[in-house]
Amino acid sequence: MNSREILKKTLNHQQPERLVVDFGGTAVTGIHCLAVKNLRAYYGLEDRPVKVVEPFQMLGEVDEELLDAMGIDVIGAYGKNNMFGFANNECGWKPFTSNWGQQLLVPDDFLYLKEPDGSLLIFPGGDVKVAPSARMPGTGYFFDAVIRQQPIDEENLNPEDNLEEFISIDNDTLDYWERTVKQLSLAGKGIIASLGGTALGDIALVPGMNLKNPKGIRDVAEWYMSTVMRPDYIHSIFEQQTELAIKNYAKIFDRIGNQIDAVFICGTDFGTQDSTFCSPEQFNELYLPYYRRINDWMHQHTEWKSFKHSCGAVETFMPLFIEAGFDIINPVQINAKGMDPRHLKNTYGKDLVFWGGGVDTQKMLSFGTPAEVKKQVIENCEIFARDGGFVFNTVHNVQANVPADNLAAMMEAVKEFNGI
Amino acid sequence: MEEILEKLAYCVEFGKINLASPYPPDMRGQDGADELTKKALEMGVPPTEVLNKGLVIGMGKVGVKFRENKVFVPQVLMSAKAMSFGMAHLKPFFNDGSVVRKGKIIIGTVEGDLHDIGKNLVAMMVEGSGWEVIDLGTDVNAGKFVAAVQANPGAVVCLSALLTTTMVNMEKIGKAVKEAVPGTIVAIGGAPVNQDFSNKIGMDVYAPDPQGLIDYLGNLN
Repeated sequence: MNSREILKKTLNHQQPERLVVDFGGTAVTGIHCLAVKNLRAYYGLEDRPVKVVEPFQMLGEVDEELLDAMGIDVIGAYGKNNMFGFANNECGWKPFTSNWGQQLLVPDDFLYLKEPDGSLLIFPGGDVKVAPSARMPGTGYFFDAVIRQQPIDEENLNPEDNLEEFISIDNDTLDYWERTVKQLSLAGKGIIASLGGTALGDIALVPGMNLKNPKGIRDVAEWYMSTVMRPDYIHSIFEQQTELAIKNYAKIFDRIGNQIDAVFICGTDFGTQDSTFCSPEQFNELYLPYYRRINDWMHQHTEWKSFKHSCGAVETFMPLFIEAGFDIINPVQINAKGMDPRHLKNTYGKDLVFWGGGVDTQKMLSFGTPAEVKKQVIENCEIFARDGGFVFNTVHNVQANVPADNLAAMMEAVKEFNGI
Repeated sequence: MEEILEKLAYCVEFGKINLASPYPPDMRGQDGADELTKKALEMGVPPTEVLNKGLVIGMGKVGVKFRENKVFVPQVLMSAKAMSFGMAHLKPFFNDGSVVRKGKIIIGTVEGDLHDIGKNLVAMMVEGSGWEVIDLGTDVNAGKFVAAVQANPGAVVCLSALLTTTMVNMEKIGKAVKEAVPGTIVAIGGAPVNQDFSNKIGMDVYAPDPQGLIDYLGNLN
């Protein structure tokens, strides 16, 4: 059985031959470029500049060599453009030295301005003539959005202004998906695709870092407030966004069929460290109907599984995620309130695939010892892997400061669990 | 007088920011915290009472509801915005010393980190409990914190971080502050930090939520 077949069994809640592993399949299950460098060194791979496949979080490429060395089963189909709106695939690459001194490769349109304090400013669409849309602090390891909120005129707010980034997919992009998925499918790995357009109010996307002159509600705090203050406005956005996304997905499906196994639908975080960002009632009213429509369409027309990311203490939302039609939940933040692995598996394991939760990243992976990491990984695998329904990944991306020894201990534990 | 202060507290509690604000729906077309604060002052209500019997009361109620998971981040942001619109009218009285607040905090997200939702929530809720807040923003290094403490002796320093890569900077900043101005109280908060971490790096307070910090500050007075 190849990786893809084992992933399929896993996603269908059948006991697979071994635990499947994802690193790099999505922008929420990836590895920071510095950690990629350290991993390559650990596995004795050539020390060469790492390609930045997702520049917002500075995620590094998990290439074929590293896939093989780490025993990874899943690869990601990423969109043509990145979050800043310029090409990050099928593009030219140029050298770039990061503030932490790492030699990297970035897309040709990765154009930036360095401020006196060392901060980097990056521009939407690679256009340096407009205001920058994101900033990386001089001592930071990735970017965050620069908020470009225009004054809000309450009487004249127009939902269309928040829909600028959602457009009908064109033939070039359809060709891109067809080429990309065909190429990726040759590897015999499972494929998760980030097709885009279905994230409902993801605050990483709300500021519109790919837009040169974003209009509407673009300030993160204002967006959160709008979910309560201006529900009609938000409903209107979600309604139109959902309708368009389903049309786009239908066109993509016509080109790629069931060559992909899962789709990253939405990264909107509903959890904080010990609570949620809204009440279950508000989730039911504002989000669930749209998620349900997207997921119903997918389940009726494709074999794709639906992947939902939400950080934080979302145990109380798990029944709602199931009702909304999600198949997969990520990152399974096991150290947040109520997110006990055994409880999650016993209560929701029949309905949800846990993609993540293999090891805590806030404390254990960054600050634990290799022995502690190994112990936690084995324990979590024993809990989550029963009867399938578990894709091994950390809780969110592997951060820049994770010691290579801890990553090695994590992968050794997975191999040990798999009897390798 | 009591009536307008009660109304003001209600506006803050439920996030009725100003006349144009569409929430709560049953208050559409009515004055919000902005207009009511202005009117209260024009009516001759002492500014200290506008602060303590209006804005602080409303913010206190929402703080308790937030801790009890009866309201969530959006509602707190709305309340804080309503409060800040009211506060703007009180600024001249803070500046001329006719309204004295409980004390002062200096808050910022530490060097390397640009995340500020949590930091802003804490800042706004502490301000809403009657403290003066000096917000240094995000990506704040030790030098800026030290300079702010030197300019504001006795202020409590509050450090925020969201990332495992930046929480480590709290130790460096906290130590620099304590070295420069001995006796300064340093509090930390943010998703990846906890009491153990606070103890390990020698900080004075770990606050798991805004109300935790407000309670701590309340005991200082």
